[in-house]
Amino acid sequence: MSLRTRLRRIWRIARWEVSLGSTSLDRQTLLAGVALLLLAGGIAGAGLALGVDGLSPTQDIYRVGIDDDSPYYNVVADHAALSPQEPDREKLETGELDLIVAPAGNSGTVSLTVGGDDGEGVVEAGALGQSTVSVAHAPTEKGTAALTSFRAAVQGYNDRLMALEPNRTAAYPVSVRLQYRPQSSPTGARGGGSSETDAGSDDGTDTEGGDGAADDGSDGSNGGSDNDQSTDDDTNDGSTGDANLDVDDERDDPDVDNDDDSLLDGLLSGGNSQGSPAEISPPFPFSSLVLAFVFLVPMNFIIQAYGGTILNERINRRGELLLVAPIQRLDIVAGKTLPYLLAAVVAITGISLGVGGGLLSVAAVLPIALAFLASTFVGAMFARSFKELTFVTVTVSVFLTTYVFVPAIFTNVTPIALISPLTLVVMELQGEAVGLGGYVFATAPFFLGSTILFLLGVGVYREEDMFTQKPVPLKFLDAIDARLRGPKSVAVASALTIPFVFIGELLAIAALYVMPIEITVPLILVTIAAIEEVAKSIHIYAGIESDRFDRSIKTALLLGGLSGLGFFVGEKFTAIAQIVGLPELVLGQATLTPAGVTPATTLALFLGPLVLHTVTAAISALGARKDFRWYLVAMLAATLVHAAYNFAVVSAYV
Amino acid sequence: MIRVSGLRKTYGDFAAVVDSSFEVETGEIFGVVGPNGAGKTTTLKMLAGLIEPTAGTAEVAGFDAEDPAMRHRLGFLPEESPLYEDMTPTSYLTFFADLYDVPRGVAKSRIAETLDRLDLEYRDRRIGDMSKGMKRKVAIARSLINDPDVLIYDEPASGLDPLTTNSVLEFTRELRDDDKTVIFSAHNLYHVESVCDRIIIMNEGRIIARGTVEEIRDEYGETTYHVFSDIDLPETEPTSDDRHRAVVDSMGEVETLQDAAADAGGSVVDIRTHEPSLEELFLDLTGRQMAGPRTAAATKPVGDKGVDTAADTAGEPEESP
Repeated sequence: MSLRTRLRRIWRIARWEVSLGSTSLDRQTLLAGVALLLLAGGIAGAGLALGVDGLSPTQDIYRVGIDDDSPYYNVVADHAALSPQEPDREKLETGELDLIVAPAGNSGTVSLTVGGDDGEGVVEAGALGQSTVSVAHAPTEKGTAALTSFRAAVQGYNDRLMALEPNRTAAYPVSVRLQYRPQSSPTGARGGGSSETDAGSDDGTDTEGGDGAADDGSDGSNGGSDNDQSTDDDTNDGSTGDANLDVDDERDDPDVDNDDDSLLDGLLSGGNSQGSPAEISPPFPFSSLVLAFVFLVPMNFIIQAYGGTILNERINRRGELLLVAPIQRLDIVAGKTLPYLLAAVVAITGISLGVGGGLLSVAAVLPIALAFLASTFVGAMFARSFKELTFVTVTVSVFLTTYVFVPAIFTNVTPIALISPLTLVVMELQGEAVGLGGYVFATAPFFLGSTILFLLGVGVYREEDMFTQKPVPLKFLDAIDARLRGPKSVAVASALTIPFVFIGELLAIAALYVMPIEITVPLILVTIAAIEEVAKSIHIYAGIESDRFDRSIKTALLLGGLSGLGFFVGEKFTAIAQIVGLPELVLGQATLTPAGVTPATTLALFLGPLVLHTVTAAISALGARKDFRWYLVAMLAATLVHAAYNFAVVSAYV
Repeated sequence: MIRVSGLRKTYGDFAAVVDSSFEVETGEIFGVVGPNGAGKTTTLKMLAGLIEPTAGTAEVAGFDAEDPAMRHRLGFLPEESPLYEDMTPTSYLTFFADLYDVPRGVAKSRIAETLDRLDLEYRDRRIGDMSKGMKRKVAIARSLINDPDVLIYDEPASGLDPLTTNSVLEFTRELRDDDKTVIFSAHNLYHVESVCDRIIIMNEGRIIARGTVEEIRDEYGETTYHVFSDIDLPETEPTSDDRHRAVVDSMGEVETLQDAAADAGGSVVDIRTHEPSLEELFLDLTGRQMAGPRTAAATKPVGDKGVDTAADTAGEPEESP
C-alpha cells in the first residue's frame, strides 16, 4: 500500500472523527449553548454600556461624614466601600454614620496619619499638606472597619496620584531594581541577558538611591520637580550622585525589558523586580504558574475528548468494523488522533502568540501535547470503562503537569529545570537563548516516550485485546508482549525503555534535589536501581507469561543477557545530559555517572555497567520464569545488587 | 474460494478452535453451527483476519486471511454490529465506501440499490432512532458496500422479529444467486437448514460433523419407525386415540412387533418413519461429546469426516501450537 493511499485513508478517518464529534452534540444542546453564550454576552455588554462596573458586595457599606470641600472628599467618593455624607457628630453616635473626617484642608496630595485609641471612637489628627484633619469613627466594629477602609482609600488615592506624576523621581525618590542571576552554567545558555549588568552588588541586588525627598512627604508635587537633586548610587551608600535620572537609565538599559508587547508580559516577569520599594515583589515563579495553566488546561480538555473517542471504539465492539476494513491499525489510530493533535497545535500556537512566545514555544509544548495524547491513548486502550478512563486521564494530567510544571519553577535556578520543555518557553519569554542541545535534552524524552507509547497502544489495537475485559496490569503485559518477537526483540525493548527511565530518574532528581545531599544520594541510588531493573525485566516477564518464551534457565539467562545489553546501549543516549551540564551537579553525578554517562576513563569503568545490567537482568529473568512472586523477589535482589554497585562507584568517583 | 487448513487458536491452556479444516466453494452458502463457546465466532474472525491463528492457514479469495488486501474482497457482519448512532445510514455507508476506495458515484448508486433491496426507507434518519431490524439492515448494507466476493455473516438474524428474519434470510439466499460466497453462522438451526448448502457442526472448538444436512442426517441420524397396534403389547404404550405405539429402529423389529400383535389377536394398524431434524441431530451430536478437558494438549487433527470426541483424543501426545 502506497504512502499516499495510507495518508488519504488517515485523512478520511480524521475527517470522520471530526464529523462524529460534531454530530454527537445534538442540535438542542448546541442551540442551548449558543443561547447561553449570547445571554451572557448580552448581559455583560449591557452592563458595560450602562456603566455598571465596580459592583461589589461592600458597595457604599461605610457612611463617612465629610464636607464637599474637604481634600479627602474625593478619596471617599472614589472608594467603592465609602459613601460620603453630611458630617454630623450626633449621627456618629446614633450609628447613622461610621466615620467623620473634619475639618477640611486644602487640595492636593493627601497623606494621613491616624493614631489614638480606637476603642474610644475618636482618633487624632492626620496630615494633609499643611493641614491636619481629625478622623473619628463610631464605637463599633463597623466603625473600626470603616476606619481601616478609609486608610486604604487614602493610600490608594495617593498611589494613583503618584502614578500620574510626570516627574518620576519626585514621585518615587527611591527606585530599586533587582536582577536575579542563575547559578553557574557551563554552557552559558542559561541566564542570557539577565546575567549582564552594569551595576549591582555582589548579591545581585542593584539599588538606585533617590534624593530622600520623600522622607516626610511634605514636598509633595513641588518637590518632585527638583530633578537635579536625584542621585544615581549603585552601591546604595546614600551618597549624592550626578543629575542623571535613574528613570532615564532604566529606559535606556538594554538589560531591562520594558517592552509591553503582550497582555501577559507583566504577569510573566517572574515577580516585580524594579520600581519603588513598595512595588518590589519577591521572585515567585508566577510566570511558570501562568504558563502551566494556560498551556496545560486546554490539553486536559483535549485528552478528555480523545480518551472518550478511543474508549467509544471499544465499547460494544464498535471499532471492530474498522479493524476489518482494508486499513492498517496504525493508520486507524493516526486518523483518530490527528484531529486532537491538530486541535492541540492550534491551541498551543494561539497561546504562544498570546503570551508573546514564538516558534520555540510551540516547538517546546508540542512534545508535551504528544505525551498527553500518547499517555491517554494507552490508558484508554487499557481502561475497561469510562470510570477507569477518568482515573487514567486524571493520572496522566497530574503526572505530566507535575513533571513539566515543577521544574519550570526553577528556570533561573538550576539546570534541572531543563528536564521540562515548559522551561524552554519561560526562557524564550525571558529573552534567553536556548541551544539545540537544551532543546533536545528537554524534548527528546517526550518525543521518544510518546512514540513508544503510541506503538504500545497500537500493539493492542486489535480484536483480541480491544474488546476483552482484562485487568489493566494484564493488558499492559499484553501490550508489551504484542511488541515482542524473538529474543532479539527483548534487547530492543530494553533500549526503548530508556526515555521512560530517563524521565523517571530526572523526576526523582527534581523531586529530591532539595533535600540534604547525604540523604538524597542513597535514596535516589536505590530508586534509580529499581526503575532500571523494572525497565529491564518487565518485558521478559510478559514474554514468558504469554508463552512466547519457554521457561528454561538457558532461555532466561539468554533473555537477561540480551536485555542488559540492549539497555546498556540505549543508556548511552543519556549522554545528552552532558549538554546542559546536569552532571555538574553532585546529584547528577551520583545518578548519571555510575550508569556510564561520562565517557569512561578506563575500560573497566566502561564495561562495568554492561556487566551490571546483564547480570541483574538475568537475575530478574530467572525469577520471571517461575511466577510473579518469584519475579518480584528476583527483581528485588537485582535492585539490591544494582544499588550496591551504584554506591561503590559513587563512593569511588564522586 | 475459502480454504482452511489446520486452523487453531489457543489462549494459554484454553483451546478455542482446534485444527479446523474445510473448504467453501464459490457461490456456496456454508453454515457454521454449534452451541455457545463452540468456536464458531473465533473461526469466523480468523477468516476475517481479525484474530491471528495460533497455527494453521486460512485462505480467502486467494489471499491469506491476514493480508489486508484480502479485506477488499470480504464483507463481514459480526454478531454485534453497533453502529455510530449519530450518523445517518447514507453518511455511514458513504464513509465505509470511502475506506474501501469505492468511487463516490459507484458508492452512491450501490448504497441506493442495496438499501432498496433491503427495503430500508429511512435513509437520512439518525441511526440511533431506528429499530433493531433497520439497524441490522444498515449493517448488512455496509457488508456489501465494497461488492465483496466473500461474506461472513455471524448470526445475521439474531434478535430480529420473524418478518425481518425472513427478509434477511431471503436476502442471504439472493446473495447466492449473485455468486457470492457466504459463511453463515446461526444458533437457529432452522435458519441454517433453510439457507445453507453445506454445514459444519462445531463443539468445544472442533468440527464434529460436516456435509449437507442430508449427508449428516444419513451419517449420524437414525431413521425410526413408529408402529401403531390395536392391542396392548409389552413394547408399546397407549396413545390418546386408544391405540398402542412402539418406536423401533429397524424393519426387523417392526416385523417382530407385527408377529407379536398377531399372536395376541390383534394387528399393526399403522407404521410411520421419522427422519431426524437438524436440531435433533445437533443435540444428539453435541450431547455425545464427553466433557473432557478442553485444552490445547488434549487435541488432535480432525479428519474429513467423523465424530471426534475428547475421549477419542485423550492420551494423545501434546502438540506444540
